[in-house]
Amino acid sequence: MDLRPFETDNSVSCRLSSQIPDVCQTEDCCLGIDEAGRGPVLGPMVYGICFCPVSKKQELKESKVADSKTLSEAERENLFQKLDEAKSYLGWALQILSPNTISTSMLQRTKYNLNALSHDTAIGLIQYALDSGVQLTEVFVDTVGPAEKYEEKLSKLFPGIKVTVRPKADSLFPVVSAASICAKVARDRVVKGWNFAEDLGEVDVDYGSGYPNDPKTKAWLLKYLDPVFGFPQFVRFSWSTAQTLIDNKGVTVHWDDDDEDGEKAAQRQNNRSMLAYFSSSAGGNDQNPTHRFFTERRLKSLDRL
Amino acid sequence: MSCNTSVTRVDVSSVGQAQRAPVHLLPCEIEHNGPAQVSQYLTATTKDCKLEKTVSFRGRGLKGQELSCPQGYTGLVLKEINKPGSDQEDRTVKVSSVFDKLTYWNLETPPNSDDTIVMAMDWPELAEAIHGPVED
Amino acid sequence: MATKKKQTPNLQNDSWVVIAADSVIDTQKNDSDPAFVRLRNPSTDAASLYMLSSGDVQLFEVKAFEEDFHSWFVGQTVQRDGRLLFLTPMDPLYLILPYLMTSGKEGKFQPVDQVVMDEEFPACSRLLSLTRSLAFLHHIAEEKEVGKLKFHRYNQEKTMNWLKKKVERTVAMLKARSISVGEGVKSITYIRVKSDSDYHEEDYLRYAHGLISQYLSEDLSKALLDHLQLPELTSPKETEPPSKKRKLSDKPVEAGEDYTKFNSADFVRKPSKKMTAAQKSLAKVDKTGMKTMSSFFSPKAKAENK
Repeated sequence: MDLRPFETDNSVSCRLSSQIPDVCQTEDCCLGIDEAGRGPVLGPMVYGICFCPVSKKQELKESKVADSKTLSEAERENLFQKLDEAKSYLGWALQILSPNTISTSMLQRTKYNLNALSHDTAIGLIQYALDSGVQLTEVFVDTVGPAEKYEEKLSKLFPGIKVTVRPKADSLFPVVSAASICAKVARDRVVKGWNFAEDLGEVDVDYGSGYPNDPKTKAWLLKYLDPVFGFPQFVRFSWSTAQTLIDNKGVTVHWDDDDEDGEKAAQRQNNRSMLAYFSSSAGGNDQNPTHRFFTERRLKSLDRL
Repeated sequence: MSCNTSVTRVDVSSVGQAQRAPVHLLPCEIEHNGPAQVSQYLTATTKDCKLEKTVSFRGRGLKGQELSCPQGYTGLVLKEINKPGSDQEDRTVKVSSVFDKLTYWNLETPPNSDDTIVMAMDWPELAEAIHGPVED
Repeated sequence: MATKKKQTPNLQNDSWVVIAADSVIDTQKNDSDPAFVRLRNPSTDAASLYMLSSGDVQLFEVKAFEEDFHSWFVGQTVQRDGRLLFLTPMDPLYLILPYLMTSGKEGKFQPVDQVVMDEEFPACSRLLSLTRSLAFLHHIAEEKEVGKLKFHRYNQEKTMNWLKKKVERTVAMLKARSISVGEGVKSITYIRVKSDSDYHEEDYLRYAHGLISQYLSEDLSKALLDHLQLPELTSPKETEPPSKKRKLSDKPVEAGEDYTKFNSADFVRKPSKKMTAAQKSLAKVDKTGMKTMSSFFSPKAKAENK
């Protein structure tokens, strides 16, 4: 797994993938999807897919890929090694959603929530497999949230493919476990070797699990809180843990869309410009309103410095 | 109105000592006047692609571009040294920084020629037409 | 998400970001410093901020670019005040004009230093030291020399000719800079249907007149409109039609022209875009009518009714 494409710019989302095994382009295939790092306030969220011919399901099962959550980091690395050795019939692909992507999406004017982001990423990966010629017939998805709706959505998008969405699918279907291992290994490696784009000198890497309730994580966040900028891009600003810390210890920042959705803000801005249009000059002379050359450019006279 | 008698002097000799500083106009109000680790956070994470720059601030995506000062114009940052206690006293400001271009940032919107700050840069040339001396 | 905090007032501002004409900081010849002063704004009659250059040689106007929710990073600091000040050279005659006009009502020639005086704005007498004051007074006043003394009297005709030249020069600049005079704010949601060449000369003239009027009293602005042979529009707001509204109303205006043609006696409908003088004035009448109609249904009207 070569993470360099992501590490050269870890502020954006990045796709990494294995070679597509020839056999996957000729035989009916199954594909598993899982994610890693949904909950932590630090680091990326990684989406993984693994795929292999349906005929190889048993072989995969015998390789003892189990739910990655029950495994230690070293065990996961070992299993990933095994998956890599099976490259003649097993392929994988990852979508690394940088913490910056997560922050800016969730805090966007027109909010893009984590579920929508997750779904779109999963859909993108299935599409990637299809575009690469993988003969998909079965897709297994691990989910957080209501499975039925998601299953229906995916089935509609990919007619002809049998889609199974299940909570804890990673412990039920080996191909999902395999995807889970790929995603988790990638996330672990990325977090461990996080390349801080900020110029922070030597950064303390003892950030704990990254989960908001981990005292180590909390201590790390406090240590790296900047009153003006908040946090490095390694932190998900859209997490309430991060937000609360900034609110309490940072400088207050106001945006034009604070407390409202994008549409409302746009409307309000529009109204304001309309009103500004009729605003008279500083002297309050209604007969001689400020010319629109100035109002359109938000230029006005001053009466004091 | 007695405050009309007071003037604010610009200590021009301070231009010589003024540092050249990068200036950024942000699409948010930061309730703070004072030091900030701008180069460590903002400059270090800014991405340049063609004419558009991208960065994020407080988890929000910004898109921006550089704007040069209009020809014949210089950017100055004026700073008041000793604020007087009353309106009647004269004030003095010095030039603390100079710049010949600024970077302005939009929240999520790519920079374009309809941005008000870009349009505002029309002003000096138009002012020249309105205020330049008229030939007989 | 945490609750949003209310904005607190920025009381401690002690720093300003300025874009200044190079001559502001040019002090080679003089040892005094440039200074911000408050003078009577000729249009509003209230105090506005200006700058006198080092040695009172040049006058500058101060305009602030100000949008809500903006702050600066300057070097390694935050400046909460996100305004950008422009310091642009200003013609001092605009500021001298009201004083000359007031004294001109007496019909006498007077020494200008006895005219340009203002208890409320003591700095105004400094205007006379400016390079472009005394030497250019002949644009707005008659001059008489008795011995070494000079006397002046406001002259409306001269002033109008001077202002007309200003308007013409402004029109030329508006065209050169392709500044949209007909539609106002260009919006990304609207595609511009008119190219700049489609604007009528009158659009430019009115726009430039409006700009110059920012430096004139209301009476003088009206006199200039007259001098430019531009008919006064019914409502003062009509001189500055709201951007997007104007565009909406443009189409029916075009149609109006065609109907006029269609109804005419010869019944020949030419596709030609050219209009007779009569049609032109008719279209103009229509235009004003249409604008008022459309403004009825625009948010502008709603805002006003509130």
